[in-house]
Amino acid sequence: MSARIPLRCAALLLAFCFSVAQAAGTEAVGVKVPANQRFVLPNGLTVVLVPNKEVPLIAFSGFVRGGALADPAGKPGVAAEVAGLLDRGAGKRTAFQFADDIEGVGGSFNASAGAESISVGGQFMARDRALMIELLADALMRPHLDADEFAKFRDRDIEFIKAAKDSDPAQLLPEYARASLFGAHPYARPQGGSERSLAALTQADVAAYHAAYFGADRTVLVFAGDLDAKWMRSALTAAFGSWSKAKGALPKLARAPRVEGRRVLLVDSPGSVQTYFWLGNVGVDKFYNGRPALDLVNTLYGGRFTSILNTELRIKSGLSYGASSRFTRGTVPGEFSIQSFTRTEDTGKAIDLALETLNKLKHDALEPAMLESARAYVLGQYPLRLETAAHWAAALADLEFFGLGKDFIEGYGPALAKVDLAEAAAVTADAFPRPEDLVLVLIGDAAKIREAAAKYGPVTEMKISQPDFTPN
Amino acid sequence: MLTATLGRALSFSLLVFVALAATAAPKPKSAAETRVPGADQVRSTTLANGMKVIVWTDRDIPNVALYNWVRVGSRNEVSGITGLAHFFEHMMFNGTSKRKPGEFDRAMEAQGGSNNAFTTDNVTVYQDWVPRRALDLVLDLESDRLANLSFDPQVIESERGVVYSERRLRTEDSNEGFLAEQVQGTAFIAHPYHNPTIGWPADIQGWTVDDLRKFFKTNYAPNNCTLILVGDVSADEAFALAKKYLEPIPRQEPPPPVRTTEPEQLGERRVVVERDASTPLLYVAYKAPAANDPQGPAINLLFSILTEGNSSRLHRLLVEEKKLAIDVGGQFQEGFDPGLAWLLLTLPEGAKVPEVEAALDAALAQIVEQGVTAAELTRAKNLHASGFWKGLATIDGKASALGAFEVFEGDYRKLFTSPATYEKVTREDVQKAAALIFQKAHRTVGVLQSPPQAAASAQPASSEAKP
Repeated sequence: MSARIPLRCAALLLAFCFSVAQAAGTEAVGVKVPANQRFVLPNGLTVVLVPNKEVPLIAFSGFVRGGALADPAGKPGVAAEVAGLLDRGAGKRTAFQFADDIEGVGGSFNASAGAESISVGGQFMARDRALMIELLADALMRPHLDADEFAKFRDRDIEFIKAAKDSDPAQLLPEYARASLFGAHPYARPQGGSERSLAALTQADVAAYHAAYFGADRTVLVFAGDLDAKWMRSALTAAFGSWSKAKGALPKLARAPRVEGRRVLLVDSPGSVQTYFWLGNVGVDKFYNGRPALDLVNTLYGGRFTSILNTELRIKSGLSYGASSRFTRGTVPGEFSIQSFTRTEDTGKAIDLALETLNKLKHDALEPAMLESARAYVLGQYPLRLETAAHWAAALADLEFFGLGKDFIEGYGPALAKVDLAEAAAVTADAFPRPEDLVLVLIGDAAKIREAAAKYGPVTEMKISQPDFTPN
Repeated sequence: MLTATLGRALSFSLLVFVALAATAAPKPKSAAETRVPGADQVRSTTLANGMKVIVWTDRDIPNVALYNWVRVGSRNEVSGITGLAHFFEHMMFNGTSKRKPGEFDRAMEAQGGSNNAFTTDNVTVYQDWVPRRALDLVLDLESDRLANLSFDPQVIESERGVVYSERRLRTEDSNEGFLAEQVQGTAFIAHPYHNPTIGWPADIQGWTVDDLRKFFKTNYAPNNCTLILVGDVSADEAFALAKKYLEPIPRQEPPPPVRTTEPEQLGERRVVVERDASTPLLYVAYKAPAANDPQGPAINLLFSILTEGNSSRLHRLLVEEKKLAIDVGGQFQEGFDPGLAWLLLTLPEGAKVPEVEAALDAALAQIVEQGVTAAELTRAKNLHASGFWKGLATIDGKASALGAFEVFEGDYRKLFTSPATYEKVTREDVQKAAALIFQKAHRTVGVLQSPPQAAASAQPASSEAKP
């Protein structure tokens, strides 16, 4: 089908990918960070080069710190529009020329705003390395941020949100949910903006953002693939050496408090035949000490097909096509979330079941065999996520973003091997919310599910046609 | 979103191209570039029961991707049991005479493996991604469900609910899914491509355990399956495991061929769907040849020129210049039988559909009359080349590509000659493909928009337009 990404994807996605490693009593997986060169230019730009000659491609992955965190007050979506405009005219190329020169050689370039950064990524045939570096430098240092292109792109982003409401409402659940859960905290902001906030933005907002927050010292670029490190270093130094440092200070990020008690946001989508629901609370950050244990417990709870959640909501009851849970981990704690859906008539039944599973998780001890199964699963799937040059480019950019060493990857296996039931119990108590402390978000036909929703706490209601992800 | 753990069932028929997209061809600037490293490692054998096994050893990571391609899809269904191929795919995880429902997944995950499956109009494909130490178990599990599948009535009822939930997600609660189903149903009046892979609602509610038994017996013959293994396994090891676990399953009468062919379409068909929509949809589906047609590469390059990327013709014209659409997609839906080539337009709120259609028609007429530029063709070939290499960067991509070529093109080795095949396509070939495909008399036009009353009261710029 047509590729459509109405809300650009969160930079935090990677956090989840790393929930895997090496098990005790099985063969050593030996996942090693590949040999690489890291250097910092005098202007502060950090570069990592990872040679890997399997296919004749070079992948890149990088970021500029900022993202939704740096959106001006009341203007979510500015960083997202900056990201979207980076390749719509830059250096000596118009928007069309830029796209045509990339696609003409079979390359790709993408940029998107997450909660704490604008990330860039792409892939070129190795023979086009000079063009790749020229385009990347133009996009980051010399984007035109042209007024007409801005208006076009912004208008289309507004339409994409409407299109998602027409064809994939579940996709918008996390936007409503984060807005409700995090309140005034920057993690509450819709990273792609809302229909209302986007409509109010101007080209000046976008230009001001780029002038303040883009700069060499905020940027890390990782290249992996069929590359000659010496050539790359010299070409990158020439292309990026003149870039200045960023001028504006980034806002500091405080920890958001966990929600106590329950509250419900009901998003009315008249005529919807299913209810799409999200339950969650503030969870853990990227540096969480109990990470290996938590990854095992979440695998068991909602991270794989036979998870407790999917077993109850899909396998045993047939209520839903699927149910899952995850932790989104940022510099400070992001959200723990449960997500699923069921036909309108079964809304209460499915949410009750989800709550019951959480209650059991919090109160019942895990069986040793379950822990072993999760360990084997996490271990067995790990290499598939670090298979290609593009995977490694993204993984090393993630380490750079959070200031983590390669031990975050290489030491994870041994740490995972040591997790015991006591540790699993400790992180379950600490990181998973009690079923009594949750924000619930339901998208569905309010006339039919209003009563069911009220069982779970005080309900705030809004219409899906409203132009924001919050009721007011 | 949820997809990470949702498991099986990309029933939406167009998704077959997720697999096929990876198999496009590279632009061979030099001989060295088209040589696929390790291609000489691929070996195949046919078991005594007729099941073909293809193995590509690749020891970069200690894992194996296993694909079992079964030549059965919704094209093998008849009225009353539409959706059964897909439902059957779900049931293949739900118990055998040796293993209780759920045991398949529990055993595989406990040894570090994950799995999925998908069904299209043409095929049902089972996928396992496992650490090499789980290979023996996985072959055992695959063999068990082919030989000993059983049907627990309670599980059937529960799984019926799962599949209906999937239909609600992808069709009833999705304007895009709903319109695609209507267009495909209108384009085919005789051939079973008429039916949605997920099944019509009454059939989802109605199929019986007898239907399942019959379907299994007819279609799940080992000689109707192709097994692909890619990764940290030698061909000898894989063949030995296949002999041990799969060869004992007796050969069966292969499923009867699909007899019905679609009569020639003599005139445009139109279908209008009135549903609340902020963003109207315009889907145009042209009759197109089968996957193994010699014009296939030219058609794929034509659609790349039209819709792939921000510099593609239709994106540039309709999205960037005229602002008539917010998104333009295109796809040549390749199958065993002649199928459809789609153009999928999402329109901005308040769009005037006839105006968009006129602009689209003019652009298509132009390509038929004047063809494409040399730069456009080079661009399309280069995009195919990079897609080819990206696809072959993973053991999963390799398994997917080998299977797609073996099943749809009749020989997995065509994967390795496809770069040269695409390279040979000329501008004249692309123009001929355009003339073949873009015939108004052979198309079905689908429009989805709000009912007239709602549309009339909507304020184009208002956020309240969706009632």
